[in-house]
Amino acid sequence: MIAAVISGYVGTVVLGYSLVLGGMALFALRVLRRGRVLARQLPDEDKPWT
Amino acid sequence: MTAGTTTRPGTGTRGSRILGVLALAGLAWLVIFGFLLSPADEVQGDSVRLMYVHVPSAWLAYLSFGVTAFCSLMYLWKRTRSLAWDRVAGCSAEIGLLFTGLALVTGMTWGQVTRGHVWDWGDARLVTTALLFLLFVGYVALRRLPAAPNVRAKRAAVAGIIAFLDVPLVHQSVEWFRTLHQSPTILRKDLNPQIDGVMLFSVFVGVVAFTLVYVWLLVHRNRVAMMEAQLEAGGLEQALAERRGEPVGTAAVGS
Repeated sequence: MIAAVISGYVGTVVLGYSLVLGGMALFALRVLRRGRVLARQLPDEDKPWT
Repeated sequence: MTAGTTTRPGTGTRGSRILGVLALAGLAWLVIFGFLLSPADEVQGDSVRLMYVHVPSAWLAYLSFGVTAFCSLMYLWKRTRSLAWDRVAGCSAEIGLLFTGLALVTGMTWGQVTRGHVWDWGDARLVTTALLFLLFVGYVALRRLPAAPNVRAKRAAVAGIIAFLDVPLVHQSVEWFRTLHQSPTILRKDLNPQIDGVMLFSVFVGVVAFTLVYVWLLVHRNRVAMMEAQLEAGGLEQALAERRGEPVGTAAVGS
């Protein structure tokens, strides 16, 4: 049944949107996580945005 | 540089949080338009809804690599030479890779529905877009090779400009070559988009939402890159200080 839904138009559209939104979310989380790790290693004066 | 002296936990600020909320609202607006408000196409049916994420992904890939090329030029021009340009160029290229990957994946998904297959080596748009993706994978890999910051920046700038030359080729590929991809629907020479008004507006919503996401990602990725550069410079200073403090005999043994 799942295969039938995915192979249908609506399933493909849902899959496409999921890939796009999921891809963006993964990239954003990776950047935020890296930012948090690095920010711990530097004092605030080395971060002009603080 | 002292570890553990930070009071701010990451790369966020009030401005970036507002931008993030706007980007999320834009994406929600896009999903509502894409799934509920926009009509199904007479020929393609519901699969046309993929256009509202596919076209903005492709345009944002162009924008990201355009920013990379512009910043690369700014770095190479002696009057404006600054590692800040190089940093933004690198960050924008990474985000461009994300959007190019999304444009390829959504295009392949759409192709599966409309043409019955995900890939066709005879399709100039597909092949030139895949080439664009690979060129910028090479660009990002080049940036990661160990080198002095100025040397790395200069060769990355040259590579970034050369890689960007594929963007006009991707865009014009549907005009210049025989291809399965449809010819331009919105950015036409006669400035007369061949698309229903609500569908056009839905594409516009997608472009606005994705542009907000791009700016938000660029702000955060640039701040991460600033910290990476600070730590790299700090590590180099520390290594040099340790080197200077070494007894002469130790250096001789080590060399």
